[in-house]
Amino acid sequence: MPDRSVRRMVSVVVLYVVCVLTALAVAAVLIAMTGGPWRRVLTALLDGSVRNPGRWGTTITEATPILIVALGVIVSSRAGLVNIGQEGQLAMGTAAATWVAVNHRGPVALLFMLAAGFVGGALWAGLAAVLRYWRKVPEVISTLLLVFVASQITGWLLSRSFLLQYLEKGVQNQVQTSKQLDPTTRVGSVRLLGNAVPWTALAAVALAVAVGVLISRTRWGFRLTVLGRNPRTAQRIGVPVMIAGSTALMLGGAMAGLAGASMLAAGASGYRFTAGFSNNVGWEGLLVALVARNRPWACIPVAFVFGMLRTGSGFLAATGVPRSIAEVVRALLVMAMLVPPALMTLFDQRRRPAVAAAGTLATVAAGG
Amino acid sequence: MVGEVSASPTITLHGITKRYGSVVACDDVDLMLHPGQIHGILGENGAGKSTLMKILIGLVQPDEGHLLLHGRPVSVHDPQTAADLGIGMVHQHLSLVDELTVWENVLLGDHRRFDRGIARRQVADTAARYGLAIDPDVRVGDLSAGLRQRVELIKCLRRDPKILILDEPTSVLTPAESEDLFSTLRAAVVTEGRAVALVSHKLAEILHATDVVTIMRQGKVVEHRPTTGATALDLATAMVGRRVSLRSSAAALGATDDLDAGHGEPDTPEGSGTDPAAARPVVLQIDHARVLRHGVAVIDDLCLTLHAGEILGVAGVEGNGQRELGDLLSSLVHLDGGTVTVNGVTAHPGRAGSMAGLGVAVIPEDRHDSGCVLSMTVAENLLLDRIGSVSTMGFVRRTELRQRALALMDEFDIKGAGPDATFASLSGGNQQRVVLARELSHHPAVLVAAQPTRGLDVGAIEYMSARLRAAAASGIGVLLISTELEEILDLSDRIVVLSRGRVIGELTRAEATAERMGLLLGGMAEHA
Amino acid sequence: MLANTLSDILSSAALYGSTVRFAVILAFAAVGEWVAERAGTLNISLESFMIGGAYSSAVAVGAWHNVPAALAVGVLAGAAVSSAQAWLSHRLTIDQFVVGLTLNIFVLGLALFLDHRWKAVTPVPKAWRIPLLHRIPVVGQALFGQPWPMLLIVPLVVLAWWLVFRTRWGLEVRSVGDNPQAADVSGIHVNRRRRQAILFAGACCGLGGGVLVLGQIGINGYEPGHVGLKGIIAIAAVIFGGWTLRGTVAGCLLFGYFFAFQQAKLVDINPQLNASLPYLVALGITAIFARRTRQPRALAQPFLRGLT
Repeated sequence: MPDRSVRRMVSVVVLYVVCVLTALAVAAVLIAMTGGPWRRVLTALLDGSVRNPGRWGTTITEATPILIVALGVIVSSRAGLVNIGQEGQLAMGTAAATWVAVNHRGPVALLFMLAAGFVGGALWAGLAAVLRYWRKVPEVISTLLLVFVASQITGWLLSRSFLLQYLEKGVQNQVQTSKQLDPTTRVGSVRLLGNAVPWTALAAVALAVAVGVLISRTRWGFRLTVLGRNPRTAQRIGVPVMIAGSTALMLGGAMAGLAGASMLAAGASGYRFTAGFSNNVGWEGLLVALVARNRPWACIPVAFVFGMLRTGSGFLAATGVPRSIAEVVRALLVMAMLVPPALMTLFDQRRRPAVAAAGTLATVAAGG
Repeated sequence: MVGEVSASPTITLHGITKRYGSVVACDDVDLMLHPGQIHGILGENGAGKSTLMKILIGLVQPDEGHLLLHGRPVSVHDPQTAADLGIGMVHQHLSLVDELTVWENVLLGDHRRFDRGIARRQVADTAARYGLAIDPDVRVGDLSAGLRQRVELIKCLRRDPKILILDEPTSVLTPAESEDLFSTLRAAVVTEGRAVALVSHKLAEILHATDVVTIMRQGKVVEHRPTTGATALDLATAMVGRRVSLRSSAAALGATDDLDAGHGEPDTPEGSGTDPAAARPVVLQIDHARVLRHGVAVIDDLCLTLHAGEILGVAGVEGNGQRELGDLLSSLVHLDGGTVTVNGVTAHPGRAGSMAGLGVAVIPEDRHDSGCVLSMTVAENLLLDRIGSVSTMGFVRRTELRQRALALMDEFDIKGAGPDATFASLSGGNQQRVVLARELSHHPAVLVAAQPTRGLDVGAIEYMSARLRAAAASGIGVLLISTELEEILDLSDRIVVLSRGRVIGELTRAEATAERMGLLLGGMAEHA
Repeated sequence: MLANTLSDILSSAALYGSTVRFAVILAFAAVGEWVAERAGTLNISLESFMIGGAYSSAVAVGAWHNVPAALAVGVLAGAAVSSAQAWLSHRLTIDQFVVGLTLNIFVLGLALFLDHRWKAVTPVPKAWRIPLLHRIPVVGQALFGQPWPMLLIVPLVVLAWWLVFRTRWGLEVRSVGDNPQAADVSGIHVNRRRRQAILFAGACCGLGGGVLVLGQIGINGYEPGHVGLKGIIAIAAVIFGGWTLRGTVAGCLLFGYFFAFQQAKLVDINPQLNASLPYLVALGITAIFARRTRQPRALAQPFLRGLT
């Protein structure tokens, strides 16, 4: 028996390694096909993300909001919901945070700003919740459409000086950007081995622990899990499907908004909210949660790898390979990480465990 | 009768063995089906007869053994191959698509030329040949259970199968419809020389309709004999492996009356006799309840009163509102009219957990549907709705959860896996015990048991029946919703009959004879 | 003033022309997705199928200057991307939304990455003016004066209808969308039918992508913005149509109108509101219709044999 489980472990690890190597090989072939030097691309990615001085601190800074978004994804997936609108929820949360904080000073303003990000993201996700539970619109579609609407709304907010736009004196073509955050409302950083790590990163790790406890150790998490895995059982035992589901969806959005606010406070876009501020962080957070298969602790290393691709791709300019290769590599990696567990399920199905199969058969024989 | 059929067998199964891990579903099974013969295959649920039939139609591959068709070895990889070889199966209600019309359903899975006109004519021809009148252009979803089975039969017969398998065919039929089915079958066999396998766990049916019978127990063939001359008691004893003593197990096998005739005194259900149920307090009252689905009333003006300490049987042919009644009492559907009161308190059935909150415990018809969470642990499933009682400040106390679960597992004799195993890894009988344990651990006022013994083996059926009796004896009002008439007759103090979503008759146990029940089940209230 | 604007809108031949163009592009995707949804699958990766078709058609036409060949390449590319969706979600049983999302990101990034190496400049095919009919005032030019690849939508709609309602394959597709368990015991390979339906959707979307870059006036080469969530809007069109073909086509015309309206800027409204108009309409439309209509029973539910 232990022999079998060891064999299984080994085959899982081998599968993962093979899949990831295949993904990287495909990326290398793509680069080589377009005439790029794939070895130098790899070096540049590593230099930019961890090897050069101070770079892994930057990578952690980039990975932090991705991790926070991913934790939010975990909460909503736990309720069986497919929220894919984090990119928009992050933007709307940041807009709210900016609106609250940009004209104030001090750490209290910082707290209010984070809270506003949380609430802003929650309300935007709440729209999808209303559509889902009141009108039965699949949240896959509504959250995605709302991403596009959100980017237009933030664009509008940033083009009105009485809202968020910052008018620089004497400049003809005003860009869509907010005022810079006051230095007293920014988040500081700790210096670690020559790298600056923002406080938000530490808070995000604590948040990962908190989310882990919330979903697997609390009554609320327990009931949410029941809802996600069998909604009819949940309804029967008294989990209010609409309220619990909406809460989970909104909490997911809230975390995305919080991620945006923390990004802003940690210095993204030069402490300014701009058009395109979210910069794919929402999408990447979503992918991190998928790769980590909804386990909070697993999100931490995965988010770091995604952060590496972001900071590393900044060093690609010298190689002449466009930055979009980072997106290709990322998507390939995601697929590589999704395939092994699916393959294992397929193998397991071929030689089905005894009792479960017999149980199913009995059910089919009786009920069917 | 067996002696007459000396023709070579249409199909021979030889040494068929199928294992699922350590469980042997079929163990060295031999079976021969002859043309012109109806061959009964009798066994409890889980005896391996379903697996055997699945091997025959290619849904399951055997580990050992082989099949000979007219003496030539064949292998059946999938249902399509089986169909090509002339093996057809009438499934219970698994193989029809509601959204498609009758003729489309009949054609499904076929691969001859696709032509609407020809297909519809063939459907009409087949229907006429066997006296199974039906309109080929009706949506199957609009048909009654009996007519749907007619479609299944036409679908199968149109392909002109040499071998016809019927799997528990009468579970959705009224007694009269069952009669029709068997005479159709008899015609198909005698005039056209087909071989028919009738799979059933009902003794009465096997005795009535078959020529020979093969009895299976725990994956093995234990007896093979002509049906003529066999008595219900013989068959039951062979099937169960010991003398059947309890009425409840016999009831589940569908032969209560035969057994009564054979031996034994009818033991009166507990609770009746001593004090009349009507004198006890009403725990559940349903008044003129109405539930709509897609604008059609699936529960229509239903009235029902349940007293503490009685077992009220809700009989009826499947598809007459039983499922919806269960859903209503599980807080899964809204009332569109009427009221439901529990212990005098008006309930709001559509609100999450409202019925459970008022003390209505439910063993659902399909436990996987609303009775459990398959991927959570046994312990979690045991305390699914009482998680608050093992939590402090919103945090679950895992050790206490586990201890409480262990206590319940001990009390209800749940074996096979520990509290930390997933619910899905339990066998069907143990899964049902988990549900029962959880629901009874609340000390409910009402226990709704919907098809509580479906899919269980005889031991588990006895256990469940005893538990239901004990629950009633302890003052719980038990609502037993079942399509198994014998189970209803065996357990209930009072019986109501459900037809088209309303109660069309109410009888005491003493008034309920098989004939009267038969008429009521057929929807003929006025004649009963 | 309002009346003037309204009459402008109603009599603008240009508006009808671009409505038809947008509607046709949407319809290529929506008709494919309609078939795939009848089989019980929901593909948010429609977007990636279209991008695959659009980019490869653009490259092919740049290389060969042959429009039919380039469209064929688009069809193949769309089918290739969709085969990834089909294989990952209906053979390996990875969640179909997860696969769809990943594919969208992958193909978007891949087209962008390859575009720097193989750029395409596309010639515009001549409009086919159907004699006399195109002279009908207001709508004549819109319906009968489009570049010829646009007209491919007509046989495609007929083909989809014929496949779904008049062939055995279509009957089986409908059965696996409504009751996969029943289809399975009837001897139909459920996941194979679903994969085939997704492949059909991929081919349709690939063709749509090709037509997008080759059959539209004023579009030159491939740009990521061209597809711009049209795949998702196509899904909304299927929902609007209540999973009927007629309704789906009507949905495409409706959304096409709003895209055209947005592009024409006939009314002086806020640019951001104008830009989000089709998406807001899609949200509103799905909110109204998602609840009312009857969807395939097994829509977006994976099928595993033995798990009833």
